[in-house]
Amino acid sequence: MSGDVEQLLRRALAPVEPPEDLSTRVRSTLQSISDMAAEELEGWELAAMRDPRNWARPAIAVVAGGAAGAGLLLLGRHQRRRSRELRAVARRTAATVGTAARKIVARR
Amino acid sequence: MAHANNRKAELDAEFSECYRTHLRDVYSYLYYRVGNHHDAEDLTEQTFLQAYRHFERALRESDGRPLRPWLIRIAHNLAANLYRDRSRRPQSPLNEDSTVATPHSTEDLVSGRDELARVLEGVKVLPDDRREALIMRFALGMDNREIARALGRTDGATKVLIHRAIKQLAGIVALEQEGGS
Repeated sequence: MSGDVEQLLRRALAPVEPPEDLSTRVRSTLQSISDMAAEELEGWELAAMRDPRNWARPAIAVVAGGAAGAGLLLLGRHQRRRSRELRAVARRTAATVGTAARKIVARR
Repeated sequence: MAHANNRKAELDAEFSECYRTHLRDVYSYLYYRVGNHHDAEDLTEQTFLQAYRHFERALRESDGRPLRPWLIRIAHNLAANLYRDRSRRPQSPLNEDSTVATPHSTEDLVSGRDELARVLEGVKVLPDDRREALIMRFALGMDNREIARALGRTDGATKVLIHRAIKQLAGIVALEQEGGS
């Protein structure tokens, strides 16, 4: 009986193919995380950077943005438009962090 | 800096491969676990986002072993959270219109729809751990060792769990057959 049940289980629990648009969804979610991280940095008030306790927040945003962006690049290898957008986000992020760092150093 | 970039590129390539290799497994597990395509899609997405976040550590700790149990464990935890948040089990654990029809061949539909439906009904009423072990074994083709890692149990305990799950299911199916005939 158990043998029969195993045969039936193999048929009943056949693997299910994921929908084709699932990859697009994952890619788009990673893009959103990346964009939010960039906005977080752009909206960051420079004054807050004087307090070391606040340094973790933009650092986390950079990491999250970078990670999500890299994941996006991977999963959306064939989407060049997306890649260009990502590079733009990366440039904006780097510019924001660089500007903030220069101003902090200059004020010291 | 160049070294860090190279490492990152390697990690990304590995994650990409991991994603392509295991997307169907994660989706299948979640589909049979939560019982509908909508939640299965959402949870699959969350599973891979979370996996990406912890991928480097997982690679380091896996020590060359397959990552599938780790991914399934993430999926398992996310599905458990979904149930906890909703404070209920799914009202229709397996879609009436697609569970039998979608993943099965025409032959299955003609010759054994009733049998398969009985088995699926039986799987639904099993205790959670037994049901999950059967999904991992029969939908994903995982061996005892992989299932043990996904469930956080020993190989021996997993073997016993699967044996008991099949035995219990056989009893349920037999009872249903008697009741139906």
